Amino acid sequence: MSENHKIYIIGKDTLPERVSVEAGQSLNLTMVVLPGVSCDESLQVELVGQGASVDIGGLYLCQDNERVRLSVDLVHKVGSCRSDQLFKGVVGGSAKAEFSGKITVVQDAQKTQAFQNSHSLLLGESATAQTSPQLEIYADDVQCSHGATVGKLDEDEQFYMRSRGITLTQARFLQVISFVAPVMERIPQGELKDSLMTLIEDAVSKLI
Amino acid sequence: MNDILLKIEDLHASVGDKEILKGINLEIRQGEIHAVMGPNGAGKSTLSAVLAGKPQFQVTSGKITFMGEDLLAMSPEQRSWAGIFLSFQYPVEIPGVSITNFMKTAVNCRREAQGLEPMKAGEFLKLMNEKMNFVKMKTEFAKRDVNVGFSGGEKKRNEIFQMAMLDPVLSILDETDSGLDVDALRIVASGVNALHTPQKASIVITHYQRLLEYIVPDVVHILKDGKIIKTAGRELVAQIEEKGYESFSNE
Repeated sequence: MSENHKIYIIGKDTLPERVSVEAGQSLNLTMVVLPGVSCDESLQVELVGQGASVDIGGLYLCQDNERVRLSVDLVHKVGSCRSDQLFKGVVGGSAKAEFSGKITVVQDAQKTQAFQNSHSLLLGESATAQTSPQLEIYADDVQCSHGATVGKLDEDEQFYMRSRGITLTQARFLQVISFVAPVMERIPQGELKDSLMTLIEDAVSKLI
Repeated sequence: MNDILLKIEDLHASVGDKEILKGINLEIRQGEIHAVMGPNGAGKSTLSAVLAGKPQFQVTSGKITFMGEDLLAMSPEQRSWAGIFLSFQYPVEIPGVSITNFMKTAVNCRREAQGLEPMKAGEFLKLMNEKMNFVKMKTEFAKRDVNVGFSGGEKKRNEIFQMAMLDPVLSILDETDSGLDVDALRIVASGVNALHTPQKASIVITHYQRLLEYIVPDVVHILKDGKIIKTAGRELVAQIEEKGYESFSNE
């Protein structure tokens, strides 16, 4: 995990439109959309030098009739680089969230490792989440994968927790926090992470 | 006679359109251990789920009174606060939630409902350690996600650990013996026995005689096709073992 991890809170911080990552460098960022924000953000990332490494985390928490759209266009221009993206969305009310992630691996970018995962959790009956992964791979010696799911809170988990005296609200809180945890785990320990965690816990309490 | 803890009167319950419990009557007093035995599909697990308040089951008629209160009017968490505990046949895995966090939330939700302050961290950890030792669970488990990657025996031990933490008045053990080897069965049974007091009661739901060699019941019921068709003393266990459930029919 890198020391120079950056956190972008959409609506407050400005996400760079385009980032190039040079040989041996690494880019580590987490973008966060908190409730109360509708947005359409896109990020373009190019890995232009061998050994470049990119870790992108994304978290979007939406409520009411918010519209959130995030897209990442990531290009492996040279070989022996790695990229790893993890997006998690919690969508309540009648909000609509969309994540689109495109990964391009050019013909000569051998030994590329590129991973992308996008998962969303629908809290409301009329909430919608859409995720469109797109992989364009022109090299043959690569390791690439993507995964996407859209789900709801598990009722068996809820009943198990409630049978131990955990209120339904607290059960839902634990479920949502554990759902977003893998994105938070990518952020190095420190004050920034702690204050983000507080923001997220407050947002989740309101969403559920 | 001791006070009645639980009274079930003409209980009917369904899942979807299918009626599973077809008129259950049962009375449990303080200090008693009741065994509910019966073939697969008789409604044993439904009975335990209905007692704990699982939302997927609909009670279509009948009444359940627990310590004088209308149990059916309570949410699952309120039933837990009132002193009901269900040890699950298939304990649920909760990825991302550690046993410590899970139990802390459970203990403090109850304390809040009782108008108490959250338990102090030191006091809570001491209680956790004590109860984990009690069921011979390694303390490393405290950090692990609830039931994730646990063996069958570890899951059941975790159930009894939670029971020890919550100190219920009425424990319902749903097929606690399934998937256990003899050693795990002994640990689980001795845990249950050690938690039993003259003020409490247990319902042991089981298929086989095996667990009842370790947890000795006062009253034994046979549940078949959604009804209790026979109630007798512990001698009934041997009769079932000898003759099978087939030989018992609605009396």
